[in-house]
Amino acid sequence: MANGGVATAEKVERRAVGPAAAAEAGAGDPSWLRARREEAWALYEAMPMPSTRSEEWRYTDVGRLLDFDGLAVAQAPGGGPGRRSGLASEEALASEEAPVSHVGAATGLPAELRDAMAQDREGAGRVVDVDGCVVLAELDGELARRGVVLASLRDAARQGLEGVESLLATEAVPASDGKFPALNAALWSDGVFLRVPRGVSLDLPVRLARWVSSAGTAAFTRILVVAEEGSRVSFVDEILSPDMDGTALAGTTVEIFARGGAQVQYVSLQRMGRGGAYLAQQRTLAERDATLDTLNVALGGSVGRVDLNARLLGSGANSDMLGLYFGDGDQHFDFNTSQDHVAPNAHSDLLYKGALDGDSRGVFRGIIRVHEGAQQTDAYQTNRNLLMSERAVATSLPNLEIEADDVRCSHGATVGQLDAEALFYLMSRGIGRRRAERLVVLGFLGEVLSRLPMGGVVEKVTKAIEAKLRHG
Amino acid sequence: MNQPEGQMDDSPILSISGLTARVAGEPIDILKGVDLAVRPGETHAIMGPNGSGKSTLAKVLAGHPGYEVTGGSVAFRGQDLLEMEPDERAQTGVFMAFQYPVEIPGVSIANFLRTALQARLADGEELDLFDFQELLVERMELLDMDPAFAERHVNEGFSGGEKKRNEILQMAVLKPTLAVMDETDSGLDIDALKIVAHGVNTLKKEMPGMSVLLITHYQRILDHIAPDAVHVMVGGAIVQSGGPEVALELEAQGYEEYRAVTAG
Ligand SMILES: Nc1ncnc2c1ncn2[C@@H]1O[C@H](COP(=O)(O)OP(=O)(O)OP(=O)(O)O)[C@@H](O)[C@H]1O
Ligand SMILES: [Mg+2]
Repeated sequence: MANGGVATAEKVERRAVGPAAAAEAGAGDPSWLRARREEAWALYEAMPMPSTRSEEWRYTDVGRLLDFDGLAVAQAPGGGPGRRSGLASEEALASEEAPVSHVGAATGLPAELRDAMAQDREGAGRVVDVDGCVVLAELDGELARRGVVLASLRDAARQGLEGVESLLATEAVPASDGKFPALNAALWSDGVFLRVPRGVSLDLPVRLARWVSSAGTAAFTRILVVAEEGSRVSFVDEILSPDMDGTALAGTTVEIFARGGAQVQYVSLQRMGRGGAYLAQQRTLAERDATLDTLNVALGGSVGRVDLNARLLGSGANSDMLGLYFGDGDQHFDFNTSQDHVAPNAHSDLLYKGALDGDSRGVFRGIIRVHEGAQQTDAYQTNRNLLMSERAVATSLPNLEIEADDVRCSHGATVGQLDAEALFYLMSRGIGRRRAERLVVLGFLGEVLSRLPMGGVVEKVTKAIEAKLRHG
Repeated sequence: MNQPEGQMDDSPILSISGLTARVAGEPIDILKGVDLAVRPGETHAIMGPNGSGKSTLAKVLAGHPGYEVTGGSVAFRGQDLLEMEPDERAQTGVFMAFQYPVEIPGVSIANFLRTALQARLADGEELDLFDFQELLVERMELLDMDPAFAERHVNEGFSGGEKKRNEILQMAVLKPTLAVMDETDSGLDIDALKIVAHGVNTLKKEMPGMSVLLITHYQRILDHIAPDAVHVMVGGAIVQSGGPEVALELEAQGYEEYRAVTAG
């Protein structure tokens, strides 16, 4: 691929998560961005580390689970990613590239990452991010001609692409949102800017494959997706790392704008290895008649915390919010979700399901907020947990906050064990106990995937769950 | 008894003797000494009032972990059935059609049966998916089921009759040596009953050595599936055995006679 290139290790420097990293982070950036980073760093320093005394962090002692002082940010000298990727759209235009279908120039990448990418079906575009730095960005040439932009976020900011300055860390996830939004806004190394022009439909997904290379690394990535009116796009964000003896952080901020009538899907596949920590802030803004669906899959890593806020800003907006987690060993997954119905006549439906084995822990805390005047809101929230061992723990805290009177809202939460009758039924047909348990778990989690109209993702996640069940 | 053709061996395939069992952890036996012998190819009906222990017997044979065997023995094809796990029992040829089939959310019938057949193969052997698909389609046809049903999740949202038919579909795919059918006829409409009975009879023809233990409350299924023997179970034991006429007598007179005996 014309614009493919892989970060070379010697170009990347590491700086402890601290003032020096913050000072270096903006090198080479336009002044508006440097100012934003400085302000964000100041906010980060001013805000205390979230403690378990606060409601939102009660079950995840992030300061204890994550040793920030022991982490270093990967930064290229002179700022920016270790290897520039160029603007995918321009490159593709120049080189008449064929549709993005295989790994191409991405040799030199870790085998696990290449395997994950090789499993993918055809895509409309692909970005590869190593330790927060974009090393490859490529887009289908025809889409580029039609005005779709897929670029390294750093490049997009430097080149002053429309929408970046106005939408980056402003309306969606500003630094003032909290300690970790501030940290990301200050230190992000790179990420993805995807803009789909009015009326343009992408039939195939755009994929981001991320790799966090080793213990002690803090990778900060930002994703900014803008789907203009009536456009359609799916974005799949996969996060991987090796098994590690220490901790490595994938810090992620995701901002997604679906303008009137646009249809957007965002999928996060967290499949890091042991020692991986995933801290994500995701905000989706759906305007009039837009559909903005999300799926969060948490299978890997040691600690995962996702803060997802779906905002329904226009009448007729719709958000399906799916989540699937499967923990074993001492994995800890925490989901903090909110459905903000700001406009009347919008619909949101959340389903998060988790299976927990070993000593793992799952936390779900969700709130539906129906703002004043948001009449005819339809909002649902369901969290179901399946405990596969006696030591696993699930905490489920669904909540409603309703300031309108003509609404349909419901929430529900369950925590159950493997159904002994179901296991007996399966075994009575000749299926061994372990295999029967796996079938029940797959069936339980499968309900989430059955709602996702993305065959490739369903296959990949099912395979990953099966592999995990086999090793458990 | 009509001895099936070509059946040389006349020793029982299933012998139950003095079997006592209770709900695990409870103080009283539900089965209070069951004796029963079934030879290859035979169909035995078991009738008896509600709560007399028929389903308990069926579940004990299948190895339900909620029951504890407190005495007696069960030999199946010369092996001690009670020593085996439920999946091992199934693999040696025992099949129970449940009185109350269980929902398995998210697991399709096709996937379930594929897994069950795969489990019967030796390590490293792979089920031929074309053969499987062919068998499944053929069996669904036999039971007059829409092939699309194979993608439905096991028993999830099934009507009572659909659940029962699905039990017989599984039986027809897994081809057991001993089929224990616990009130498969209850909940089936008249047409469905005929279809299911036809399915069972077809299987019996295919596999002349297959034995059937048919638990029922009604004569009408016995009009379609002719029993070689009929047993009456009351209070956890078999109190009478005979030919098909026993069922006809029960149909006419009910269990009054037996109640008097056990109560007195
Ligand atoms: N798991 C259980 N827990 C408590 N009691 C049980 C359990 N299983 C069976 N029993 C009791 O044992 C007795 C026999 O039950 P069983 O289900 O075997 O009867 P049945 O002959 O199949 O009745 P029916 O004709 O109504 O199906 C009943 O009194 C029942 O309540
Ligand atoms: Mg019964």
